[in-house]
Order: sequence, then C-alpha cells, then structure tokens
Amino acid sequence: MRYTTVDRSLRGIQALPRPRTLIHPGAFNPVRIHSRSAGHGRHIRLSLRPGASLFDAMVDALAIAGVANASMTILGGTFRHIDYCTAPPDPQHRMVVAYTAPIPAGPAYLIFGNATLGKTDAGAPLVHCHAAFCRDDGAPLGGHIIPQTSIVGDRPVPVLVTSLEGFELRATYDAETNLRLLQPQGGGNHELA
Amino acid sequence: MNSPEIESGSMGRVAYARIGPNEDLIQGVEKLCLAEGFRNAFVRGALGSLVDACLYTREGGYRHIAGPAVEIVSLAGEVRAQPDGSLTASLSGVVADPEGQVHGGPFVPGANPICMTFEVTLEEWLPAASGG
Repeated sequence: MRYTTVDRSLRGIQALPRPRTLIHPGAFNPVRIHSRSAGHGRHIRLSLRPGASLFDAMVDALAIAGVANASMTILGGTFRHIDYCTAPPDPQHRMVVAYTAPIPAGPAYLIFGNATLGKTDAGAPLVHCHAAFCRDDGAPLGGHIIPQTSIVGDRPVPVLVTSLEGFELRATYDAETNLRLLQPQGGGNHELA
Repeated sequence: MNSPEIESGSMGRVAYARIGPNEDLIQGVEKLCLAEGFRNAFVRGALGSLVDACLYTREGGYRHIAGPAVEIVSLAGEVRAQPDGSLTASLSGVVADPEGQVHGGPFVPGANPICMTFEVTLEEWLPAASGG
C-alpha cells in the first residue's frame, strides 16, 4: 500500500475541490451578512417537557420566561418520535434546493441540535431546528427536524438558551433564494456588504 | 494562576447573523466579527446549509461531502485575534448529506460555500488582562 506524504505547508491548498457558486432564482443581494448585536446574552436552562412536541416544549416555556427570540443548543436526550427532512435539489427549480416530505425516524435519541426561536412574518412563534440523532436501530442521521411533530421522550431534555434582546428574528421573504428565511430586524443596524 | 493553559475572561456582547448563499462558512464568521467589532468569540448556536462540505481529516487530507444541500447539524468553534492583526475562525462540526448520512470534522477555510442560509450566534469573549 502506498502512502502519500502530506506537505503541511500545502495543507488546504493541494487538490482541494473548488467551491461551487450556485445560481439562485432571484436577484443577488449585495448585502451578504445581516447581523444585529446586543450588549449581553441572557442565558436560561430549559427542560423540554416530556410528551410535548419539540415546538410546544420550547415555545410555551420560553413565552412564560418572556423570551421571544433565542438561539438554543439541545444538549441531547430521548425522543418518542422524530420527523426530519433533508434538502436535495428542487425538482421544480423554484429554488436551488427544497425540503423533502417529512421522513419518520420513529423513536430516536437526539445527540445534539441547534434551534432558533423567532417569528413568522405574521408574528407567530417559529422554531428552526437542525440536529443529529440516532434511530433505535443505531443508525446515526441528521437533518432539519420538524418541531411540530417531533415528540419529547419520557425524560426532560436539557436546552441551553441564549435569549436575543434588543432586536428580533423574523421569517421574511428572501427574493434571492425564493424562500422565507429568518433575518434579524430592528435595533442597531449592522450590515456588511 | 499564571498558567499558559488558562485564559480567564468574561462574556461580552452577543451577535446573531444570517449569512447569505455562496459565502464561505469560515470567512463569513470572521467577517461577522469584523462587522460587530468582536476580536474573540465563541459560537453559541448555528444552523444552516452548505452547497458541498469540505472537512479536514486527522492526517491533513480532506473529505468532500457532495450536496446540495449539506445541512449543518452541529457546530462548535471560536474566533481568535491573531498576533499579525488578522482574525481566525476555527469551526468543527457535524453535517448531514442529502441522504441524511452524517459526517464530522473541522471545516476547511474557503471550501464550504453556504447554500440557502447560515444562522449563527456568537458570544464575544473578553480575555482578562494578563500579566504574562
């Protein structure tokens, strides 16, 4: 067997695949980074309620705590059921990729996840969640989790919440990608072209 | 308490950003720090998608995970100010390919273009002034 010696000075340069620039359906937005900041983050340890949907367990508890916008880390725990999807190329070419129909993973262990709490453009709570999980047969999988139909298991699942205050996250129509996406709004304006 | 292994400090500001399609993951996080004036920061949460993913292997090679889209399902990392006046983001994580299969490792700078959107929350890290 032959081994190739890696010249560390060339690491990351030698034969790296060239990144692909995809053409999106809408006009290119010259502002590439939309950001907002607050003086400090307020942290909460949230326990997801057993038997509730991931959506209800996050939204109901955080509403009581007065949190409307947040970035969350799901620290792992069992779920009675997980529905997820992936995003392969859109067969109808309305967007470069589109979510598949929900895929039922059945009972699963959520290994690690991140979720964002924001608002729909009508002002209702919205949760965007991606996670890695293990099915009961041991297969590790990952993707976009459907919060409304994924059900917390028999024990509370811990979540570290960073509450975002002084600005809000709202799903607004993004013409470039032809998709509704969470964007920070209000508060101080920091945009980088 | 002057151990080189310990850096004491405190958390400062918190920033959330949406980074647009075709921007590089690593350099996008570095530019977010430029936009917000952060010099050192930790990733507090992140999710989004990549066109394709490129992760280093332990031997110094790389793994290319073909998309689109490759979903970022876990991300940890930091941004550090460098002595030469630059900023360096070091991010590692787990990604899921279009079949839902997972892969992990450190992201290669310049080789992870964002597909639809990348949401990231950074918390500024303020190292305490050290005597050494």
